[in-house]
Amino acid sequence: MPMLTSLARGRARFAPAAVAAGFVVAAAGVVSVGGCSREEQAKPQESASAPAAAAAPAGPKRGGTLVFARPEEPQTFDPFIPNDNGSIYAIEQVCDSLVEPDTTGEGLRPGLAASWTVSDDKLVWTFTLRDAKFTDGTAVTADDVVFSLKKAGAESAPLASLYAPIKAVEAVDPKTVKVTLKQPYGPVLSALSAYAAAVVSKAAYEKSAEAFGQMPVCSGPFKVKEYVRGTRVVLERNADYWEAGKDGQPLPYLDAVEMRYVPDTNARVLGLKGGEIDAIAIVPFNEAEGIKGTPGLTLEAAPVFRLDYVYINHKAKPLDNKDLRLAMNLAADREAIMKVVFFGFGEIPNSYMPKVNFHSDAVEKIPYDLEKAKALVKSSGYKGQTIKLMVDTGNAPSRQIATILQQGWSEAGLKVEIVEFDVGTAFDMTSKGNYMAYVSYITSDINDTDELATLQADGTGSSKSFFSNYRNAEVTKLLTAARSDSDAAKRAELYAKVQDTVYHDGYSVPLNFTPSLNAHHAYVEGWQTSKTGWWWLKDVIRNK
Amino acid sequence: MWLLRFVAVRLLQAVPVLLGVTLIVFLAIHLVPGDPVQMMLQGRATEATLAAYREKLGLDRPLAMQYLRFVVDAVQGDLGTSILQRVPVARVIGERLGVSLALLGFAALLSVVLAVPLAVLAAARRQRLADHLIRLGGTVAFAMPSFWIGLLLILFFGLQLRWFPISGAGSGFADRLHHLFLPALTIALFLAPLLIQSLRAAMLEVLTAEYVEVARAKGLGEGRVLLKYVLRGALVPVVTILAVNIGWLVSGSVIVESVFSVAGLGMLLVHAVSTRDYPVIQGLTVVFAVLVLAVNLLADLAYALIDRRARVA
Repeated sequence: MPMLTSLARGRARFAPAAVAAGFVVAAAGVVSVGGCSREEQAKPQESASAPAAAAAPAGPKRGGTLVFARPEEPQTFDPFIPNDNGSIYAIEQVCDSLVEPDTTGEGLRPGLAASWTVSDDKLVWTFTLRDAKFTDGTAVTADDVVFSLKKAGAESAPLASLYAPIKAVEAVDPKTVKVTLKQPYGPVLSALSAYAAAVVSKAAYEKSAEAFGQMPVCSGPFKVKEYVRGTRVVLERNADYWEAGKDGQPLPYLDAVEMRYVPDTNARVLGLKGGEIDAIAIVPFNEAEGIKGTPGLTLEAAPVFRLDYVYINHKAKPLDNKDLRLAMNLAADREAIMKVVFFGFGEIPNSYMPKVNFHSDAVEKIPYDLEKAKALVKSSGYKGQTIKLMVDTGNAPSRQIATILQQGWSEAGLKVEIVEFDVGTAFDMTSKGNYMAYVSYITSDINDTDELATLQADGTGSSKSFFSNYRNAEVTKLLTAARSDSDAAKRAELYAKVQDTVYHDGYSVPLNFTPSLNAHHAYVEGWQTSKTGWWWLKDVIRNK
Repeated sequence: MWLLRFVAVRLLQAVPVLLGVTLIVFLAIHLVPGDPVQMMLQGRATEATLAAYREKLGLDRPLAMQYLRFVVDAVQGDLGTSILQRVPVARVIGERLGVSLALLGFAALLSVVLAVPLAVLAAARRQRLADHLIRLGGTVAFAMPSFWIGLLLILFFGLQLRWFPISGAGSGFADRLHHLFLPALTIALFLAPLLIQSLRAAMLEVLTAEYVEVARAKGLGEGRVLLKYVLRGALVPVVTILAVNIGWLVSGSVIVESVFSVAGLGMLLVHAVSTRDYPVIQGLTVVFAVLVLAVNLLADLAYALIDRRARVA
């Protein structure tokens, strides 16, 4: 679910955003007359987490099909291939892992594993499986888990590096799995909760991986009933799912979810307002107020593990100079960006990475201080080189961000040019180190700080600190220590030090801890977005 | 006999065209920066993983070899495998071809249905109010970008009147027509003005032809003259205009499919280009080229059937 979600933003570029957006705003009034007056019993529900609270005394309403429009579609249901949100978020609905994130997003709770124990040296983790069934009726066994975790750690797997510290996975008996680590690994449970460590039916996968990608055999709350590429995926309730709802009956509450692929932003918003669609993912920031003001509609601004920031290539002169990078931070008018681009949704960051579990609030924010920035530019020995600030073509918010930054940076004495490339080209240039600064973002796949802290700041990794060429031996040492510790307090302390160091090294220009905006009709209850971006559809009730 | 030879010659001519088109697209997509493997793995893979992927997909070979392999495979009916979806390209395209063909056919039909009566009216009332209004309306419709027209139609017919669904392609014949009506109309509103203009011009020319004068002199009513003599003589350019514009139609459908979320080839192309899914882009190039060539061949055939003089070419 990394940075390339920008494809979703990029795809809408055929309807030039400004024109289309203005149009839709103008149209919203018309629409709400015919479209939404039916749902007068609107009930504000910012981030619903207690489905039962809204339910009738007899218990939560069951049944119904949720029509849910997304800007991305799954490419495959094979959990060992994809790294795109279209696929990942759909796989999360049909496949289970040993452990899953809890609803706060920060912690973990049992998944397919009912319980687990760990050896004193923190090297051997023993998981006891619950009685669960695959959607073909066969039992989930330790053999399936061993098979799946080996696939997750294979070199071609999407998040292979997360599973690299695993030495061996063995089946002790049909209900017990032993995971042995090479060295103590703090994030191990979090890593095992990711989609990439989903437990699949070994028999079905071995029969045909291609067929599995179309019709997966897992043990999650839903199963794939229909998969029409480019149009929709129909997920049907898995009657054998192991978790019970508030009424003591098995989850999910819904009979089915029709996930429609609607890449065009206006089509999604208009479909929601028109009542054809029950819920939509990814509401553009400029539409948020309009949706909030529409009776019968609920806007969800869910905090997720996402940071919008300006990537900086520390190898590209003059950006190798720390003072200059700090000047860029000091001259970034983040308040203006928050207001103009994000419409107030989010939080001005004090970190180089998203707010994951070991985030420290104590790290001091770099203020907006033009005078200090000017002084730093002068003392840095800047010789008037042009700083090229790259944005994705057709991405209006990125372009706005760049314009605001350009203004501040110019006032501080820097020469800035905004350059546009299509997202494929921009990403290629970034990954080859052939760029100076790039307005983009990053998201975390797991709810442990380690993944992104390491990816972004450990200069010895293969992505060169996520293409920044940032290298700091002290940070690498701290990260290694934090990763191999399992004491949470100790880890928190180490990551806080990393956060403080990297952020104040002018690693990047962080802009916003950006939330995920989704919207649904008020009769859709229990809606909640997980911090890694997908939705707990098994808890959703369609009360209509 | 002329028919067989006519078709054979045209098919032979199509071979270099296909080769040329695929080669140009192949070079273009490989010259543009972008790495499908890096994009698929989103910057989180090691160099070793990246290299293993590139080798597996044949992306590490010289460009000439890659193109040659594409041609050899394509001749045998194999368009390769989608990098992103891990499914044969022929299947990916096959799943969506029907929708796009239905949309294009429907759009062509609608534009003829719109254009012919309006053109007849404009020609019959030339330089009068009806003629001016039709021409003005045509210019306006033609000048408006199709995504804009699409949004207008969605708002009015989809959301206010609720006559038509606003996204998707539907399933089953009637449902599909219902779903595709607004997208087809969007394309038709672009195409119809072209047809009206040329049909009107052709009719004006025919209106003063001698055989029409003769018909009038024989005492035939103006309506009968228009429909029976003038329109028939003027229909040939309509066929040509439709055929010539099939390329535009195809490219226009990319935008329209995106606006209406119609899962056709256009939307597939947009996605394949942004993710640099080379085999899908190549496969689509072949399909689009064949489509344009086939429609032009059919148009020439129709032309030849209407007018014997065209059979020589």
